[in-house]
Amino acid sequence: MNHKGEAMSEERYFLENNTSPVKKGGYWYLVTGFFLGVVLGLIYTWWINPMVYQTTDPASLSDTYKDTYRSTIAQVYVATGNLERAQRRLNLLEDENPVYVLGAQAQRALAEGNAEEARALALLASDLQSNGQLPLVTAETISPDVSASATPRVVPTQTLPLATSTP
Amino acid sequence: MPHRIRRYFFFGMTILAGIGLGIFIGYRVVPVQNPETAPDTLRIDYKTDYVLMVAAIYHQDGNAPAAEVRLSFLGDASHLKTIQTAIAYAQERGYAPVDIQKMLDLADAIQDLTKNEP
Repeated sequence: MNHKGEAMSEERYFLENNTSPVKKGGYWYLVTGFFLGVVLGLIYTWWINPMVYQTTDPASLSDTYKDTYRSTIAQVYVATGNLERAQRRLNLLEDENPVYVLGAQAQRALAEGNAEEARALALLASDLQSNGQLPLVTAETISPDVSASATPRVVPTQTLPLATSTP
Repeated sequence: MPHRIRRYFFFGMTILAGIGLGIFIGYRVVPVQNPETAPDTLRIDYKTDYVLMVAAIYHQDGNAPAAEVRLSFLGDASHLKTIQTAIAYAQERGYAPVDIQKMLDLADAIQDLTKNEP
């Protein structure tokens, strides 16, 4: 009797809604919710609260900051005349063609009326080109033993932990 | 539990699970790569080298205000503290005494400049 009543009820439901009660909506709402959650999580981690890199290297600086860094390297070179050290510092910026980048920046500096800066950049570019560039020296290839060398290396070494990031 | 409430409950639970997976993917699997950073996030050895560069230029031209402007590149609140940190690191890492002396001279110049400021 009871079973018969339930069967009739389901039959009426099916007739009225043209579907079974189990299939109505199905489980797609779970998939939708999960997908929505993943999207929200990605929006949070990529835009709202992205990773903040605490210990970066000069190569990761924006172009404007790289220009300032490069300009400082050139001015130090003018002051000290130490081409090898300038080369090492330039390598930290990981420019594909340091001479070309220095030349281009010198032209920009000249156009902006910074003659002294332009001269320093051009001089470094010229000396690098005429003396032949040293092989690429990166933080990984520099000996961490600073105190043991006759001329202590002032460029960063690999003894510090690698760049880390925190959310 | 009524059918409708149960649906809302599981809907909420799957959203939470999705958020968890999204955060894991966003921070661990596919984090924001190679962001263009500011100099204040540079590692201490790179900061020290930059301070040394400023000190070398100051050693040559003796222009303390210009050195202060160059130090502002690092974005730290106190230039003097930045130099002191750099000197401490340089001493710890065994930099050449002449380089440390240049940084000490720079620290003195910045300190004098700070004192003279109104």
